Amino acid sequence: MTISIKPTASGSTIEQDGSTILTVDGSGNVDVANNLTVTGNVPVNNTAPAFFSYPSAAVSVSSATPTKIPFNLTDFNTGDYDTTNYRFTPSVAGYYQVNAHAYFGTSVTDQQQVWIGLYKNGSAYMYASVQNASGNDNLSPSISTLIYLNGSTDYVEIYVRHGQAGATKDAGSFGRAFNGFSAFLARAA
Amino acid sequence: MTLYEKITTLYTELTDADFAPEGTIMLQNDSDGRGDYIKEWNHPTLAKPTQEQLDGVQ
Repeated sequence: MTISIKPTASGSTIEQDGSTILTVDGSGNVDVANNLTVTGNVPVNNTAPAFFSYPSAAVSVSSATPTKIPFNLTDFNTGDYDTTNYRFTPSVAGYYQVNAHAYFGTSVTDQQQVWIGLYKNGSAYMYASVQNASGNDNLSPSISTLIYLNGSTDYVEIYVRHGQAGATKDAGSFGRAFNGFSAFLARAA
Repeated sequence: MTLYEKITTLYTELTDADFAPEGTIMLQNDSDGRGDYIKEWNHPTLAKPTQEQLDGVQ
C-alpha cells in the first residue's frame, strides 16, 4: 500500500494506491472519500438552532377562532426564537423537530373538541385534536412533527382553538408546568 | 360579544362546519392586541360582513 500526500493548486490530497481518500481545499474544508470512524468523542462547534418556550399567562380563546399562544418566556433560546411575536424563524435551513402542547385552563364540556395547530408562514400546516369523552374536563392537546424550514424566511407558530359555541376559554394556563413550544434542528438541508 | 357570535347572529344559517379548520370561514387571533379578525372568507353564497354590520350587532 502506498500513501501519498500531494499539494494541489487549491489545497492538497491524500492518496492511497493512487486513489484520493481525503481532500483539503483552500478554505480548509476536509472531504473524506469513504466512511469515517471515530473511536473517541468529536467536539462539535454546534450552531444548530434550538429553543424551549412557555407562556407567562393564558390567552382568552373565542369559539371557532384559532388563537396564537403567547409563548413569551424561554428556558433556552439559541437566538432564533422571537419572544415578542411568539415565532421561530431558524437561521439554518433543514428539517426541524417541533413539539408543542397547551393546556386549556377553562374546562371543556361533554363531547367538545379542542385543537392545537402548527402554523407555517402564517397558515395552518397541521392540527391535532383531543375530545372530551364525558362531563367537563381540562384538555391539553399536543403536536409533534418534523418540518422543513428554509433557514431565512420560514417560521412556525402555535395556535389553539375550540368549537364550543358561545364560550370563551383560557388556554396556555399555568406556564411551563402545563405548556411548551420547542424545536431543534434534526438534520441540516 | 365575540366576532364569532356576531357573525352567527348576522348569518344564522352558518354551521360549525363553516368554521372548522377546513371550512369556508377562518377567524383568527394573533395575540398581538388586535383581537379576533376574519382571516379568510370563502363562503360560496354569503358575503363577508362589513365592519358596520358587525358593529351593529347587539
